[in-house]
Amino acid sequence: MENKNWIKLEFPSETRNVAFARTSLALFAAQLDWTLDELEDIKVAVSEAVSNAVIHGYELGEGVVKIKASYLEEELKIEIEDFGRGIADVERAKETGYSSIPEERMGLGFTFMYEYMDEVAVLSQLGEGTKVTLIKKVNNGKH
Amino acid sequence: MHFSMEKKGQALIVAIQGELDLHTSPEFKTEISKAFAAHLDLKYLIFNVKEMTFIDSSGLGVILGRYRDLQDREGRLYFVQANPQIKRVLEFSGLRKISIFADSTQEVLEQV
Repeated sequence: MENKNWIKLEFPSETRNVAFARTSLALFAAQLDWTLDELEDIKVAVSEAVSNAVIHGYELGEGVVKIKASYLEEELKIEIEDFGRGIADVERAKETGYSSIPEERMGLGFTFMYEYMDEVAVLSQLGEGTKVTLIKKVNNGKH
Repeated sequence: MHFSMEKKGQALIVAIQGELDLHTSPEFKTEISKAFAAHLDLKYLIFNVKEMTFIDSSGLGVILGRYRDLQDREGRLYFVQANPQIKRVLEFSGLRKISIFADSTQEVLEQV
């Protein structure tokens, strides 16, 4: 039998839900056999993506954040989606040190996601929202 | 998240318990900024992170902001008893380069 599972989460865009999201995702991810460092990587990456949705997607206003997570064998995939303002220049947003809000978060959100996950994809449409897909393989895909 | 602050000479010792993120960092930032404003002699900021369980870029951003306040006073930033996961994040963010890691608060207080 294939080892697979999935969850869906949906919650209001509120800062207190960032901790809820990363902790829930870490619990789900823990069904696979990660090292402690890898589980921490997942928590940080999810925290960054959800924080981006809350701060940039909805500018700390009202909105809904949706998360779909699944794994198939040893590959974990997490999709974090908001329906907020979208990112005008995705390539620029990914740059280390770039932040549309100066003095905030060091511009490290995407940098952490790229460093801590194996694959990152960002789809964004101005005025429609942003979807970030994070993929990580157990043992970095090596056996 | 809970934190406590204690001033000893020119040092402010801040012990952090729990998770420092988007939700918990604003109050943290405000309280430390108040301490800086109230005590113009403060030069050393010592974060005891033994019981800090999580930090992401929101928390790191607040710490970097306080480092800038310290720079104006030619002060120094210390992290005490960081666990391996926290150390990794501090290193990757670049905060490692502008701070000093120590094993105990006492050790730092003897140096400053």
